[in-house]
Amino acid sequence: MTGHTPPFLTIAEASRLIATKRLSPVELVKELLARIETKDPQLNAFLLVTERHALAAARAAERAVMAGRHTPLLGIPVAYKDIYETAGVRTTAQSRILADNVPKQDAETVRRLHAAGAVMLGKLATHEFAIGGPAFDLPWPPARNPWDTRRFTGGSSSGSGAAVAAWLALGALGSDTGGSIRLPAAYCGIAGMKPTPGLVSRRGVIPLAPSLDTAGPMAWTAQDCAILLDALAGHDPADPASVPGPQISYAAAIAAPLRGLRVGLLRRFYEHDVPASPEMLQMMSRAAATLRSLGCRVEDATLPSVQEYNAVGRVIISSESYALHEATLKQRLSDYSRVFRVRVLAGALIRAADYIAAQRRRTDLIAAAAKTFERFDVLVTAPTAGTPPLLTEQRPDDGFARPLLTTVANVAAVPSMVVCGGFTPAGLPLGVEIMGPAWSDATVLRVGHHFEQAMGTRRRRPEL
Amino acid sequence: MPASPAMSVPIISPGEMQLLLSRAGLVLNPGQVADLVLAWRQVAGLIAAMQHDRPLADDMAYVFRLPPPASAVVSMPPVRPAAKPKVKAKAKVKAKAKAAPKRRSAKAAPRKTARRGR
Repeated sequence: MTGHTPPFLTIAEASRLIATKRLSPVELVKELLARIETKDPQLNAFLLVTERHALAAARAAERAVMAGRHTPLLGIPVAYKDIYETAGVRTTAQSRILADNVPKQDAETVRRLHAAGAVMLGKLATHEFAIGGPAFDLPWPPARNPWDTRRFTGGSSSGSGAAVAAWLALGALGSDTGGSIRLPAAYCGIAGMKPTPGLVSRRGVIPLAPSLDTAGPMAWTAQDCAILLDALAGHDPADPASVPGPQISYAAAIAAPLRGLRVGLLRRFYEHDVPASPEMLQMMSRAAATLRSLGCRVEDATLPSVQEYNAVGRVIISSESYALHEATLKQRLSDYSRVFRVRVLAGALIRAADYIAAQRRRTDLIAAAAKTFERFDVLVTAPTAGTPPLLTEQRPDDGFARPLLTTVANVAAVPSMVVCGGFTPAGLPLGVEIMGPAWSDATVLRVGHHFEQAMGTRRRRPEL
Repeated sequence: MPASPAMSVPIISPGEMQLLLSRAGLVLNPGQVADLVLAWRQVAGLIAAMQHDRPLADDMAYVFRLPPPASAVVSMPPVRPAAKPKVKAKAKVKAKAKAAPKRRSAKAAPRKTARRGR
Protein backbone atom coordinates (compact mmCIF):
# COMPACT_ATOMS: atom_id res chain seq x y z
CA MET A 1 0.00 0.00 0.00
CA THR A 2 1.16 3.50 -0.79
CA GLY A 3 2.37 5.80 1.95
CA HIS A 4 1.05 8.92 0.23
CA THR A 5 -2.24 10.31 1.56
CA PRO A 6 -3.98 12.83 -0.69
CA PRO A 7 -5.26 15.80 1.31
CA PHE A 8 -8.88 16.30 2.39
CA LEU A 9 -10.20 12.89 1.36
CA THR A 10 -13.88 12.22 1.98
CA ILE A 11 -15.07 8.90 3.39
CA ALA A 12 -16.21 7.80 -0.08
CA GLU A 13 -12.86 8.70 -1.67
CA ALA A 14 -10.75 7.13 1.10
CA SER A 15 -12.88 4.00 1.01
CA ARG A 16 -12.31 3.57 -2.73
CA LEU A 17 -8.55 4.06 -2.35
CA ILE A 18 -8.33 1.64 0.58
CA ALA A 19 -10.39 -0.99 -1.26
CA THR A 20 -8.03 -0.84 -4.24
CA LYS A 21 -4.99 -0.91 -1.91
CA ARG A 22 -3.84 2.53 -3.06
CA LEU A 23 -4.21 3.99 0.45
CA SER A 24 -2.97 2.52 3.69
CA PRO A 25 -5.35 2.88 6.67
CA VAL A 26 -2.28 3.13 8.90
CA GLU A 27 -0.81 6.00 6.87
CA LEU A 28 -4.18 7.75 6.77
CA VAL A 29 -4.54 7.51 10.55
CA LYS A 30 -0.96 8.71 11.08
CA GLU A 31 -1.63 11.67 8.80
CA LEU A 32 -4.73 12.63 10.77
CA LEU A 33 -3.05 12.16 14.17
CA ALA A 34 -0.25 14.49 13.03
CA ARG A 35 -2.82 16.98 11.81
CA ILE A 36 -4.71 16.82 15.11
CA GLU A 37 -1.46 17.52 16.94
CA THR A 38 -0.67 20.61 14.90
CA LYS A 39 -4.15 22.04 14.17
CA ASP A 40 -6.33 21.10 17.12
CA PRO A 41 -4.71 23.49 19.60
CA GLN A 42 -6.42 26.26 17.57
CA LEU A 43 -9.78 24.47 17.60
CA ASN A 44 -10.15 22.45 20.83
CA ALA A 45 -12.21 19.92 18.90
CA PHE A 46 -10.75 16.90 20.72
CA LEU A 47 -11.14 16.23 24.43
CA LEU A 48 -9.13 13.03 24.13
CA VAL A 49 -7.02 11.58 21.31
CA THR A 50 -6.88 7.77 21.46
CA GLU A 51 -3.68 7.41 19.46
CA ARG A 52 -2.77 3.89 20.60
CA HIS A 53 -6.29 2.57 19.96
CA ALA A 54 -6.36 4.29 16.58
CA LEU A 55 -3.07 2.85 15.37
CA ALA A 56 -3.97 -0.65 16.57
CA ALA A 57 -7.37 -0.47 14.83
CA ALA A 58 -5.78 0.92 11.66
CA ARG A 59 -3.27 -1.95 11.57
CA ALA A 60 -6.12 -4.44 12.02
CA ALA A 61 -8.01 -2.73 9.18
CA GLU A 62 -4.92 -2.90 6.97
CA ARG A 63 -4.54 -6.62 7.65
CA ALA A 64 -8.21 -7.11 6.77
CA VAL A 65 -7.77 -5.21 3.49
CA MET A 66 -4.74 -7.29 2.59
CA ALA A 67 -6.78 -10.40 3.38
CA GLY A 68 -9.32 -9.29 0.80
CA ARG A 69 -12.04 -7.95 3.10
CA HIS A 70 -13.80 -4.74 2.16
CA THR A 71 -16.57 -2.73 3.74
CA PRO A 72 -17.19 0.96 3.03
CA LEU A 73 -15.95 2.01 6.50
CA LEU A 74 -12.96 -0.31 6.74
CA GLY A 75 -10.00 1.77 7.92
CA ILE A 76 -11.97 5.05 7.96
CA PRO A 77 -10.93 7.35 10.86
CA VAL A 78 -13.86 8.77 12.84
CA ALA A 79 -14.37 10.41 16.22
CA TYR A 80 -17.23 10.60 18.69
CA LYS A 81 -18.92 13.40 20.57
CA ASP A 82 -17.97 12.78 24.19
CA ILE A 83 -21.47 11.67 25.18
CA TYR A 84 -21.02 8.38 23.27
CA GLU A 85 -19.87 5.69 25.66
CA THR A 86 -16.67 3.97 24.62
CA ALA A 87 -15.50 0.82 26.39
CA GLY A 88 -12.38 1.51 28.44
CA VAL A 89 -12.10 5.08 27.12
CA ARG A 90 -13.06 8.08 29.27
CA THR A 91 -16.46 9.58 28.42
CA THR A 92 -17.03 12.89 30.20
CA ALA A 93 -19.90 14.71 28.45
CA GLN A 94 -17.45 17.62 28.89
CA SER A 95 -18.49 17.81 32.54
CA ARG A 96 -16.72 17.62 35.87
CA ILE A 97 -19.56 15.34 36.95
CA LEU A 98 -18.27 12.55 34.67
CA ALA A 99 -14.59 13.55 34.62
CA ASP A 100 -13.50 10.05 35.64
CA ASN A 101 -16.22 8.07 33.89
CA VAL A 102 -14.81 5.07 32.01
CA PRO A 103 -17.66 3.02 30.51
CA LYS A 104 -17.48 -0.75 30.32
CA GLN A 105 -19.36 -0.98 27.03
CA ASP A 106 -19.49 0.83 23.72
CA ALA A 107 -22.64 2.66 22.72
CA GLU A 108 -24.53 0.57 20.17
CA THR A 109 -23.66 3.10 17.45
CA VAL A 110 -19.97 2.95 18.32
CA ARG A 111 -20.12 -0.85 18.31
CA ARG A 112 -21.71 -0.78 14.86
CA LEU A 113 -19.08 1.55 13.41
CA HIS A 114 -16.24 -0.52 14.87
CA ALA A 115 -17.83 -3.71 13.55
CA ALA A 116 -17.90 -2.05 10.12
CA GLY A 117 -14.16 -1.39 10.38
CA ALA A 118 -14.12 2.31 11.36
CA VAL A 119 -11.15 3.54 13.40
CA MET A 120 -11.74 5.71 16.49
CA LEU A 121 -9.39 8.72 16.69
CA GLY A 122 -10.77 10.09 19.95
CA LYS A 123 -13.53 11.87 21.80
CA LEU A 124 -14.86 15.25 20.71
CA ALA A 125 -15.94 18.42 22.46
CA THR A 126 -19.58 19.04 23.25
CA HIS A 127 -21.53 21.53 25.28
CA GLU A 128 -21.79 20.13 28.81
CA PHE A 129 -24.17 17.17 28.67
CA ALA A 130 -25.13 18.29 25.14
CA ILE A 131 -26.94 21.41 26.36
CA GLY A 132 -26.00 24.94 27.09
CA GLY A 133 -23.45 26.75 25.05
CA PRO A 134 -19.75 27.41 24.94
CA ALA A 135 -18.56 27.43 28.57
CA PHE A 136 -15.31 28.92 29.82
CA ASP A 137 -15.64 27.62 33.40
CA LEU A 138 -15.07 23.93 32.62
CA PRO A 139 -11.78 21.99 32.59
CA TRP A 140 -11.89 21.91 28.77
CA PRO A 141 -12.20 25.02 26.57
CA PRO A 142 -15.04 25.28 24.03
CA ALA A 143 -14.42 24.24 20.43
CA ARG A 144 -13.70 26.96 17.89
CA ASN A 145 -14.88 27.35 14.32
CA PRO A 146 -12.22 26.36 11.73
CA TRP A 147 -13.46 29.02 9.27
CA ASP A 148 -12.74 31.74 11.85
CA THR A 149 -11.46 30.63 15.22
CA ARG A 150 -13.01 33.64 16.96
CA ARG A 151 -16.40 32.26 16.06
CA PHE A 152 -18.84 29.74 17.51
CA THR A 153 -19.03 26.26 16.01
CA GLY A 154 -22.69 25.87 16.86
CA GLY A 155 -23.64 23.17 19.26
CA SER A 156 -23.88 21.02 21.01
CA SER A 157 -21.90 18.68 18.71
CA SER A 158 -19.29 21.42 18.55
CA GLY A 159 -16.15 19.27 18.36
CA SER A 160 -17.75 17.05 15.72
CA GLY A 161 -18.44 20.05 13.48
CA ALA A 162 -14.96 21.53 13.94
CA ALA A 163 -13.09 18.21 13.53
CA VAL A 164 -14.84 17.24 10.30
CA ALA A 165 -14.55 20.72 8.76
CA ALA A 166 -10.83 20.93 9.59
CA TRP A 167 -10.18 17.38 8.29
CA LEU A 168 -9.12 16.09 11.69
CA ALA A 169 -11.58 13.20 11.23
CA LEU A 170 -13.40 11.97 8.12
CA GLY A 171 -16.64 11.46 9.99
CA ALA A 172 -18.10 11.96 13.44
CA LEU A 173 -21.08 11.12 15.56
CA GLY A 174 -23.25 13.87 16.99
CA SER A 175 -26.54 14.01 18.80
CA ASP A 176 -29.51 16.25 18.09
CA THR A 177 -32.23 17.25 20.56
CA GLY A 178 -33.03 20.74 19.24
CA GLY A 179 -30.50 21.12 16.42
CA SER A 180 -27.22 19.92 17.93
CA ILE A 181 -26.06 18.06 14.81
CA ARG A 182 -27.42 20.49 12.24
CA LEU A 183 -26.36 23.79 13.84
CA PRO A 184 -22.64 22.85 13.91
CA ALA A 185 -23.05 21.42 10.43
CA ALA A 186 -24.38 24.80 9.25
CA TYR A 187 -21.81 26.93 11.07
CA CYS A 188 -18.87 24.66 10.18
CA GLY A 189 -19.88 24.16 6.54
CA ILE A 190 -20.30 20.38 6.65
CA ALA A 191 -23.17 17.86 6.35
CA GLY A 192 -25.06 16.61 9.39
CA MET A 193 -28.02 14.27 9.52
CA LYS A 194 -30.66 13.93 12.23
CA PRO A 195 -32.37 10.67 11.29
CA THR A 196 -35.99 9.70 11.91
CA PRO A 197 -36.35 8.97 15.65
CA GLY A 198 -35.89 5.25 16.22
CA LEU A 199 -33.75 4.61 13.12
CA VAL A 200 -30.44 4.86 15.03
CA SER A 201 -30.01 3.40 18.50
CA ARG A 202 -29.37 5.77 21.40
CA ARG A 203 -28.22 3.06 23.79
CA GLY A 204 -25.01 4.19 25.43
CA VAL A 205 -25.47 7.83 24.39
CA ILE A 206 -25.75 10.01 27.51
CA PRO A 207 -29.29 11.41 27.30
CA LEU A 208 -30.41 15.02 27.43
CA ALA A 209 -34.17 14.86 26.80
CA PRO A 210 -35.18 11.33 25.79
CA SER A 211 -38.41 12.45 24.07
CA LEU A 212 -36.37 14.38 21.53
CA ASP A 213 -32.82 12.94 21.55
CA THR A 214 -31.55 11.54 18.24
CA ALA A 215 -28.11 10.17 17.35
CA GLY A 216 -26.71 10.73 13.88
CA PRO A 217 -23.72 11.15 11.54
CA MET A 218 -21.73 14.24 10.61
CA ALA A 219 -19.31 14.31 7.67
CA TRP A 220 -18.00 16.52 4.88
CA THR A 221 -20.69 15.42 2.39
CA ALA A 222 -24.22 14.04 2.36
CA GLN A 223 -22.81 10.97 0.61
CA ASP A 224 -20.48 10.34 3.57
CA CYS A 225 -23.42 10.74 5.97
CA ALA A 226 -25.27 8.10 3.92
CA ILE A 227 -22.30 5.72 4.16
CA LEU A 228 -22.18 6.20 7.93
CA LEU A 229 -25.95 5.80 8.23
CA ASP A 230 -25.78 2.46 6.43
CA ALA A 231 -23.71 1.17 9.35
CA LEU A 232 -25.60 3.02 12.08
CA ALA A 233 -29.22 2.27 11.17
CA GLY A 234 -30.84 -0.86 12.50
CA HIS A 235 -33.13 -2.13 15.20
CA ASP A 236 -31.73 -2.30 18.73
CA PRO A 237 -34.11 -4.08 21.13
CA ALA A 238 -32.24 -2.52 24.06
CA ASP A 239 -33.34 1.00 23.02
CA PRO A 240 -37.09 1.16 23.67
CA ALA A 241 -37.51 3.83 20.98
CA SER A 242 -35.64 1.80 18.34
CA VAL A 243 -37.74 0.35 15.55
CA PRO A 244 -36.83 -1.69 12.47
CA GLY A 245 -36.50 0.96 9.78
CA PRO A 246 -36.48 0.47 6.02
CA GLN A 247 -34.08 -2.25 4.89
CA ILE A 248 -32.23 -0.16 2.31
CA SER A 249 -28.77 1.11 1.48
CA TYR A 250 -28.76 4.87 1.98
CA ALA A 251 -25.48 5.20 0.11
CA ALA A 252 -27.01 3.48 -2.91
CA ALA A 253 -30.32 5.36 -2.69
CA ILE A 254 -28.81 8.83 -3.01
CA ALA A 255 -27.76 8.35 -6.63
CA ALA A 256 -31.30 8.55 -8.06
CA PRO A 257 -31.94 11.91 -9.76
CA LEU A 258 -34.28 14.50 -8.24
CA ARG A 259 -36.47 15.07 -11.30
CA GLY A 260 -40.12 15.45 -10.34
CA LEU A 261 -39.48 15.77 -6.60
CA ARG A 262 -41.93 18.09 -4.81
CA VAL A 263 -39.97 20.62 -2.72
CA GLY A 264 -41.71 22.93 -0.25
CA LEU A 265 -39.88 26.14 0.58
CA LEU A 266 -40.55 27.26 4.18
CA ARG A 267 -40.00 30.87 3.21
CA ARG A 268 -41.99 32.33 6.15
CA PHE A 269 -39.63 30.57 8.60
CA TYR A 270 -36.56 32.53 7.54
CA GLU A 271 -38.20 35.69 6.22
CA HIS A 272 -40.49 36.31 9.20
CA ASP A 273 -40.31 33.86 12.14
CA VAL A 274 -36.50 34.02 12.44
CA PRO A 275 -35.51 36.80 10.03
CA ALA A 276 -32.40 35.80 8.13
CA SER A 277 -29.49 38.02 7.10
CA PRO A 278 -29.44 39.41 3.54
CA GLU A 279 -26.63 36.94 2.69
CA MET A 280 -28.71 34.01 3.90
CA LEU A 281 -31.77 35.24 1.98
CA GLN A 282 -29.70 35.46 -1.21
CA MET A 283 -28.32 31.99 -0.64
CA MET A 284 -31.82 30.56 -0.10
CA SER A 285 -32.93 32.12 -3.41
CA ARG A 286 -29.98 30.44 -5.12
CA ALA A 287 -30.84 27.18 -3.36
CA ALA A 288 -34.41 27.28 -4.69
CA ALA A 289 -33.16 28.04 -8.21
CA THR A 290 -30.65 25.19 -8.00
CA LEU A 291 -33.32 22.72 -6.90
CA ARG A 292 -35.49 23.84 -9.85
CA SER A 293 -32.55 23.33 -12.19
CA LEU A 294 -32.25 19.78 -10.83
CA GLY A 295 -35.83 19.10 -11.96
CA CYS A 296 -37.62 19.67 -8.65
CA ARG A 297 -40.99 21.40 -8.47
CA VAL A 298 -40.40 24.12 -5.88
CA GLU A 299 -43.36 25.85 -4.22
CA ASP A 300 -43.92 27.73 -0.97
CA ALA A 301 -44.99 25.61 1.97
CA THR A 302 -46.16 26.46 5.48
CA LEU A 303 -46.00 24.91 8.92
CA PRO A 304 -47.00 26.33 12.32
CA SER A 305 -44.53 28.98 13.46
CA VAL A 306 -40.95 28.26 14.52
CA GLN A 307 -41.89 29.85 17.86
CA GLU A 308 -44.60 27.25 18.44
CA TYR A 309 -42.25 24.35 17.79
CA ASN A 310 -39.63 25.98 20.00
CA ALA A 311 -41.96 26.63 22.94
CA VAL A 312 -42.89 22.94 23.00
CA GLY A 313 -39.33 21.78 22.45
CA ARG A 314 -37.81 24.04 25.12
CA VAL A 315 -40.37 23.07 27.78
CA ILE A 316 -39.76 19.37 27.09
CA ILE A 317 -35.96 19.76 27.05
CA SER A 318 -35.89 21.80 30.27
CA SER A 319 -38.23 19.43 32.12
CA GLU A 320 -36.55 16.22 31.04
CA SER A 321 -32.96 17.43 31.40
CA TYR A 322 -33.66 18.72 34.90
CA ALA A 323 -35.33 15.44 35.85
CA LEU A 324 -32.25 13.52 34.68
CA HIS A 325 -29.82 15.78 36.57
CA GLU A 326 -31.87 16.69 39.65
CA ALA A 327 -30.10 14.47 42.16
CA THR A 328 -26.63 15.48 40.97
CA LEU A 329 -27.54 19.16 40.70
CA LYS A 330 -28.62 19.16 44.35
CA GLN A 331 -25.35 17.61 45.46
CA ARG A 332 -22.80 19.18 43.08
CA LEU A 333 -24.40 22.35 41.73
CA SER A 334 -21.18 24.33 41.51
CA ASP A 335 -19.44 21.57 39.53
CA TYR A 336 -21.69 22.30 36.52
CA SER A 337 -20.92 25.21 34.21
CA ARG A 338 -22.90 28.41 34.64
CA VAL A 339 -24.46 28.07 31.19
CA PHE A 340 -25.66 24.54 32.02
CA ARG A 341 -27.22 25.76 35.27
CA VAL A 342 -28.98 28.63 33.51
CA ARG A 343 -30.45 26.36 30.86
CA VAL A 344 -31.37 23.36 33.03
CA LEU A 345 -32.34 24.68 36.48
CA ALA A 346 -35.45 26.37 35.11
CA GLY A 347 -36.76 22.87 34.49
CA ALA A 348 -37.14 22.49 38.27
CA LEU A 349 -39.86 25.12 38.20
CA ILE A 350 -41.94 23.77 35.31
CA ARG A 351 -45.22 22.28 36.51
CA ALA A 352 -46.13 18.74 35.50
CA ALA A 353 -49.30 20.10 33.87
CA ASP A 354 -47.22 22.36 31.62
CA TYR A 355 -44.87 19.54 30.66
CA ILE A 356 -47.86 17.36 29.74
CA ALA A 357 -49.37 20.29 27.82
CA ALA A 358 -46.13 20.50 25.82
CA GLN A 359 -46.22 16.79 25.03
CA ARG A 360 -49.86 17.01 23.97
CA ARG A 361 -49.25 20.09 21.83
CA ARG A 362 -46.39 18.20 20.22
CA THR A 363 -48.85 15.66 18.83
CA ASP A 364 -50.65 18.53 17.03
CA LEU A 365 -47.40 19.86 15.63
CA ILE A 366 -46.37 16.39 14.44
CA ALA A 367 -49.75 16.07 12.74
CA ALA A 368 -49.39 19.52 11.13
CA ALA A 369 -46.02 18.54 9.64
CA ALA A 370 -47.39 15.21 8.42
CA LYS A 371 -50.25 17.07 6.70
CA THR A 372 -47.82 19.37 4.89
CA PHE A 373 -45.77 16.35 3.79
CA GLU A 374 -48.83 15.03 1.96
CA ARG A 375 -48.10 17.76 -0.61
CA PHE A 376 -44.30 17.73 -0.53
CA ASP A 377 -41.53 15.14 -0.59
CA VAL A 378 -39.16 17.45 1.28
CA LEU A 379 -39.28 20.86 2.95
CA VAL A 380 -36.35 23.26 2.69
CA THR A 381 -35.42 26.13 4.98
CA ALA A 382 -32.46 28.07 6.32
CA PRO A 383 -31.15 26.34 9.46
CA THR A 384 -29.80 29.55 10.98
CA ALA A 385 -30.42 33.26 10.57
CA GLY A 386 -26.92 33.76 9.21
CA THR A 387 -23.24 33.14 9.79
CA PRO A 388 -21.67 31.82 13.01
CA PRO A 389 -21.63 34.48 15.74
CA LEU A 390 -18.53 35.36 17.73
CA LEU A 391 -17.94 33.13 20.75
CA THR A 392 -18.06 36.19 22.97
CA GLU A 393 -21.57 37.05 21.69
CA GLN A 394 -23.11 33.90 23.18
CA ARG A 395 -25.50 34.46 26.11
CA PRO A 396 -26.28 31.77 28.70
CA ASP A 397 -30.03 32.12 28.09
CA ASP A 398 -29.76 32.03 24.27
CA GLY A 399 -31.47 28.67 24.11
CA PHE A 400 -34.67 30.22 25.42
CA ALA A 401 -34.51 33.73 24.06
CA ARG A 402 -33.77 32.93 20.42
CA PRO A 403 -35.93 30.32 18.68
CA LEU A 404 -34.02 27.76 16.65
CA LEU A 405 -35.16 26.88 13.13
CA THR A 406 -33.72 23.39 13.59
CA THR A 407 -35.94 22.52 16.58
CA VAL A 408 -38.93 22.19 14.23
CA ALA A 409 -37.69 18.81 12.96
CA ASN A 410 -37.05 17.49 16.49
CA VAL A 411 -40.54 18.35 17.69
CA ALA A 412 -42.10 17.14 14.41
CA ALA A 413 -40.15 13.83 14.71
CA VAL A 414 -38.94 13.91 11.11
CA PRO A 415 -35.54 13.34 9.50
CA SER A 416 -33.60 16.46 8.68
CA MET A 417 -30.17 17.30 7.40
CA VAL A 418 -28.05 20.39 6.85
CA VAL A 419 -25.64 20.70 3.96
CA CYS A 420 -23.42 23.59 2.95
CA GLY A 421 -25.21 25.94 0.57
CA GLY A 422 -22.48 28.51 0.02
CA PHE A 423 -20.19 31.08 1.58
CA THR A 424 -20.41 34.76 2.42
CA PRO A 425 -17.92 37.17 0.82
CA ALA A 426 -16.02 36.94 4.14
CA GLY A 427 -15.64 33.20 3.62
CA LEU A 428 -18.07 31.98 6.27
CA PRO A 429 -20.33 29.02 5.46
CA LEU A 430 -24.11 29.15 5.12
CA GLY A 431 -26.19 26.01 5.52
CA VAL A 432 -29.40 24.74 3.99
CA GLU A 433 -31.78 22.47 5.89
CA ILE A 434 -33.77 19.68 4.22
CA MET A 435 -36.57 17.86 6.07
CA GLY A 436 -38.66 14.92 4.96
CA PRO A 437 -41.56 12.93 6.39
CA ALA A 438 -40.76 10.14 8.86
CA TRP A 439 -38.67 7.33 7.31
CA SER A 440 -37.76 9.38 4.23
CA ASP A 441 -34.14 9.60 5.39
CA ALA A 442 -32.94 8.31 2.03
CA THR A 443 -34.81 11.05 0.15
CA VAL A 444 -33.43 13.74 2.47
CA LEU A 445 -29.88 12.46 1.91
CA ARG A 446 -30.49 12.23 -1.84
CA VAL A 447 -31.59 15.87 -2.03
CA GLY A 448 -28.61 16.90 0.10
CA HIS A 449 -26.21 14.97 -2.12
CA HIS A 450 -27.44 16.38 -5.46
CA PHE A 451 -27.79 19.87 -4.02
CA GLU A 452 -24.20 19.86 -2.69
CA GLN A 453 -22.89 18.71 -6.06
CA ALA A 454 -24.87 21.32 -7.96
CA MET A 455 -23.80 24.14 -5.62
CA GLY A 456 -20.13 23.11 -5.82
CA THR A 457 -19.43 23.97 -2.20
CA ARG A 458 -17.37 20.86 -1.37
CA ARG A 459 -14.17 22.04 -3.00
CA ARG A 460 -13.43 24.70 -0.41
CA ARG A 461 -11.87 23.93 3.00
CA PRO A 462 -11.01 26.19 5.93
CA GLU A 463 -7.43 27.42 6.02
CA LEU A 464 -5.74 26.82 9.34
CA MET B 1 -49.25 31.98 19.25
CA PRO B 2 -48.11 35.05 17.33
CA ALA B 3 -45.25 34.40 14.95
CA SER B 4 -43.30 37.39 16.19
CA PRO B 5 -39.84 36.48 17.47
CA ALA B 6 -40.26 38.93 20.32
CA MET B 7 -41.53 36.89 23.26
CA SER B 8 -43.44 38.47 26.14
CA VAL B 9 -41.40 37.87 29.29
CA PRO B 10 -43.39 37.71 32.55
CA ILE B 11 -41.89 39.24 35.67
CA ILE B 12 -41.46 37.33 38.92
CA SER B 13 -41.00 38.80 42.40
CA PRO B 14 -38.17 37.67 44.71
CA GLY B 15 -40.79 36.20 47.09
CA GLU B 16 -42.41 34.18 44.28
CA MET B 17 -39.05 32.88 43.14
CA GLN B 18 -38.12 31.90 46.71
CA LEU B 19 -41.38 29.98 46.99
CA LEU B 20 -40.74 28.12 43.72
CA LEU B 21 -37.18 27.33 44.82
CA SER B 22 -38.21 25.96 48.19
CA ARG B 23 -40.89 23.79 46.56
CA ALA B 24 -38.24 22.44 44.17
CA GLY B 25 -35.85 21.82 47.08
CA LEU B 26 -33.13 23.99 45.55
CA VAL B 27 -30.65 25.99 47.61
CA LEU B 28 -28.98 28.65 45.44
CA ASN B 29 -26.68 31.58 46.13
CA PRO B 30 -27.81 35.09 45.06
CA GLY B 31 -25.90 34.94 41.76
CA GLN B 32 -27.44 31.60 40.88
CA VAL B 33 -30.91 32.93 41.77
CA ALA B 34 -30.34 35.91 39.48
CA ASP B 35 -29.38 33.56 36.64
CA LEU B 36 -32.43 31.41 37.29
CA VAL B 37 -34.75 34.42 37.28
CA LEU B 38 -33.34 35.33 33.85
CA ALA B 39 -33.98 31.81 32.52
CA TRP B 40 -37.31 31.29 34.25
CA ARG B 41 -38.80 34.46 32.80
CA GLN B 42 -37.97 33.11 29.33
CA VAL B 43 -39.40 29.67 30.11
CA ALA B 44 -42.55 31.16 31.66
CA GLY B 45 -43.01 33.15 28.45
CA LEU B 46 -42.71 29.96 26.39
CA ILE B 47 -45.22 28.14 28.60
CA ALA B 48 -47.67 31.03 28.39
CA ALA B 49 -47.35 31.06 24.60
CA MET B 50 -48.06 27.35 24.31
CA GLN B 51 -51.59 26.31 23.43
CA HIS B 52 -53.11 24.58 26.48
CA ASP B 53 -56.79 24.23 25.53
CA ARG B 54 -57.65 20.74 24.35
CA PRO B 55 -60.73 18.55 24.58
CA LEU B 56 -60.55 16.38 27.68
CA ALA B 57 -61.08 13.25 25.61
CA ASP B 58 -57.92 13.79 23.56
CA ASP B 59 -55.30 11.08 23.87
CA MET B 60 -52.35 11.73 26.11
CA ALA B 61 -49.05 12.00 24.32
CA TYR B 62 -47.53 8.97 25.99
CA VAL B 63 -47.65 5.57 24.37
CA PHE B 64 -46.83 2.34 26.08
CA ARG B 65 -45.90 -0.48 23.76
CA LEU B 66 -47.11 -3.62 25.44
CA PRO B 67 -46.43 -7.02 23.89
CA PRO B 68 -49.40 -8.32 21.89
CA PRO B 69 -51.73 -10.71 23.75
CA ALA B 70 -50.64 -13.73 21.69
CA SER B 71 -47.05 -13.48 22.88
CA ALA B 72 -48.23 -13.02 26.46
CA VAL B 73 -50.05 -16.40 26.26
CA VAL B 74 -46.97 -18.09 24.83
CA SER B 75 -44.77 -16.73 27.57
CA MET B 76 -47.11 -17.85 30.38
CA PRO B 77 -45.69 -20.65 32.54
CA PRO B 78 -47.24 -24.07 31.80
CA VAL B 79 -50.11 -25.02 34.08
CA ARG B 80 -49.04 -27.76 36.45
CA PRO B 81 -51.58 -30.64 36.43
CA ALA B 82 -53.35 -31.23 39.74
CA ALA B 83 -51.79 -33.97 41.84
CA LYS B 84 -53.72 -37.20 41.61
CA PRO B 85 -54.47 -39.11 44.82
CA LYS B 86 -52.56 -42.35 45.13
CA VAL B 87 -54.89 -45.31 44.77
CA LYS B 88 -54.34 -49.04 44.72
CA ALA B 89 -54.28 -50.77 41.33
CA LYS B 90 -57.73 -52.32 41.76
CA ALA B 91 -59.31 -49.09 42.87
CA LYS B 92 -57.70 -47.34 39.84
CA VAL B 93 -59.40 -49.74 37.42
CA LYS B 94 -62.70 -49.20 39.17
CA ALA B 95 -62.31 -45.46 39.03
CA LYS B 96 -61.48 -45.57 35.27
CA ALA B 97 -64.52 -47.69 34.56
CA LYS B 98 -66.69 -45.23 36.38
CA ALA B 99 -65.11 -42.25 34.72
CA ALA B 100 -65.51 -43.51 31.16
CA PRO B 101 -69.19 -42.78 30.68
CA LYS B 102 -68.74 -39.30 32.08
CA ARG B 103 -66.35 -38.34 29.25
CA ARG B 104 -69.05 -39.15 26.76
CA SER B 105 -71.68 -37.26 28.64
CA ALA B 106 -73.16 -34.07 27.30
CA LYS B 107 -71.75 -32.13 30.24
CA ALA B 108 -68.18 -32.58 28.99
CA ALA B 109 -68.76 -30.82 25.68
CA PRO B 110 -68.83 -27.21 26.83
CA ARG B 111 -65.60 -27.70 28.76
CA LYS B 112 -63.82 -28.91 25.58
CA THR B 113 -65.06 -25.91 23.63
CA ALA B 114 -63.88 -23.61 26.35
CA ARG B 115 -60.39 -25.09 26.20
CA ARG B 116 -60.16 -24.62 22.43
CA GLY B 117 -61.19 -21.05 22.78
CA ARG B 118 -58.32 -20.15 25.07
